Amino acid sequence: MSLRTLKFALLGLTVIVAGAVGPFLPSKWMTTLLYAQLFAVYAMGWDILSGMTGQISFGHIFFVAVSGYTAGLLNLYLQWPIWATVPTGVVMAVLAGLLFSVPALRLRGPYFSLVTLILPLAAARLVIILADWTGGELGKFGVTPLCQDSLLNALNGVLLRLGISIDGFRLYQYCNYYFFWMLMAMVGGGLVWLSTSRIGKILEAIRENEEAVEAAGINVAKYKIFAFVVSAFIVGLGGALSVHTNEAVFFNSLLSLTTSIEMIVASVIGGMGTIVGALWGGFLVRGGEQVIKELAQLKLPIGAAGLALSFLERWATLIFFALLLVLLFFARQGLLPLLAGLFRRGRRIRGG
Amino acid sequence: MALLHVENLRKSFGGLMAVKDLSFHVEPGEILGLIGPNGAGKSTVFNLIMGTITPDQGRILFKGRDITHWPTYKIVDAGVARVFQIARYFPRKTVYENVEISAIPNEIFVRSADPRAKTVESCVRTGLCTNEHCPGDDRCLCRSELPGMLPQGGLRRLELARAIGTDPELLLLDEPFAGLSHAEVDEISHLIASLRDEGQTIVLVDHNMRGVMRLVDRIVVLCFGEKIAEGTPEEVARNPQVQEAYLAGGGF
Repeated sequence: MSLRTLKFALLGLTVIVAGAVGPFLPSKWMTTLLYAQLFAVYAMGWDILSGMTGQISFGHIFFVAVSGYTAGLLNLYLQWPIWATVPTGVVMAVLAGLLFSVPALRLRGPYFSLVTLILPLAAARLVIILADWTGGELGKFGVTPLCQDSLLNALNGVLLRLGISIDGFRLYQYCNYYFFWMLMAMVGGGLVWLSTSRIGKILEAIRENEEAVEAAGINVAKYKIFAFVVSAFIVGLGGALSVHTNEAVFFNSLLSLTTSIEMIVASVIGGMGTIVGALWGGFLVRGGEQVIKELAQLKLPIGAAGLALSFLERWATLIFFALLLVLLFFARQGLLPLLAGLFRRGRRIRGG
Repeated sequence: MALLHVENLRKSFGGLMAVKDLSFHVEPGEILGLIGPNGAGKSTVFNLIMGTITPDQGRILFKGRDITHWPTYKIVDAGVARVFQIARYFPRKTVYENVEISAIPNEIFVRSADPRAKTVESCVRTGLCTNEHCPGDDRCLCRSELPGMLPQGGLRRLELARAIGTDPELLLLDEPFAGLSHAEVDEISHLIASLRDEGQTIVLVDHNMRGVMRLVDRIVVLCFGEKIAEGTPEEVARNPQVQEAYLAGGGF
């Protein structure tokens, strides 16, 4: 089995599981996983640039912001419909990526990373300065929902004809959930294909030895710009759509540096440059904390009154990050390479 | 017409004149030796040809085209490839995948020929992958081995394979025998001769004149960045200026 087949199989499996559990998810979990899917798209978008070429970007949330605010504000103030706001947002993100790649190409290693950090910081100031329009840190509500009434009614009609009856709010949740499920599947498929193609091989080679790639007659700058554009496109697409799911432009979801860092964490945990690993990492990062919070609701049958685990609630984030560190300690390369390694050892399959 | 023309090339680093008004040419099908004591500016000449550094003055013509200010990848695509003295490879890619990168064309959107055949050819031609399954089959060692596992001679072969994979008309070899055992020197020099017999034009840099005498057709001798002699190996060896330069620089 080639690496490409293996990755497609793992991706397919993940997508099927995410799709199959949908109807059984309690409402809270459905929301968590909806955002996990969105975040997985960000993480995969980060991975195709930074994971593959080794140019670590701390500022990918910038592309989310450019696209998200463009789409959201166009919708809020000019009443542009979704089919116009989302493409415009994505185009702006791609332009930002192009613009950004030019100076970025001159920088290496930590210098590159530090510059990427400046962009979202500057954008955050701008959003706050223009708070009258952007809503500043509070955000602004009233963006057209992704799942509009007309769409929901049509869906309801189809489902009723199939003999399935779902109440309104649940249907609304389903609609959003499966929309991002499809987005995740398509982005995952496209990026797995790209990362295992010749282009992916070159991006990987750039990470390992840029000079040797140049000596092989490859224009390194061209490939880096290409990776930038693809990455900005994917992350921007997620950002623009998220605005319509949230029905608001939220500062915390469009410009949080934590999210930017978490994209790196997701990719590293799953295996940098593996795409599917970044997707898993995305689920782990977004879902893991929620799992600990769920555990906090339980009572262990210890002692007469039972041992309440509610203390976990406050510590959930901290515990979760500690667990991630432990995980990184044992699987430095990330989950997917660990799994692929075991798989290869088991089957004695060599090469890629 | 000469394949490569170097005209009045000059490069100084601070106060040090590394290459001083150097002119030479390379005929198609020959092996030209660029010889000189350590610090004579041989590697600098290669860096100038490959566009790694730009000359202060002078120009470099390849097949009649001025490539002086071209970026490295473009020079490689035009048909010049270099084998580094210290191998520059992709440590986490297998030997086969290392060679494959050279066979992939510099095109993102154009669907081009499968790099597989080219990769296999480069591996076989340089003797990098030799057992019966190689390198088409997953059982071939090249498909699982990482470059870090190769001996010095193997690394040199890998460098050669990566260079040949770019389909060069001119191959620049930077000290191809440095750090090799006697047996490996014989093997690599055999390999270079066989490449020449297939019509490959080569420029070979070495500080050890005796080692390359039998291999090269013509020699250009550099000393402190200047050309002090040019001719057949016999002519050059008889040249008193060359003998002096080498004795002063530690003998040859």
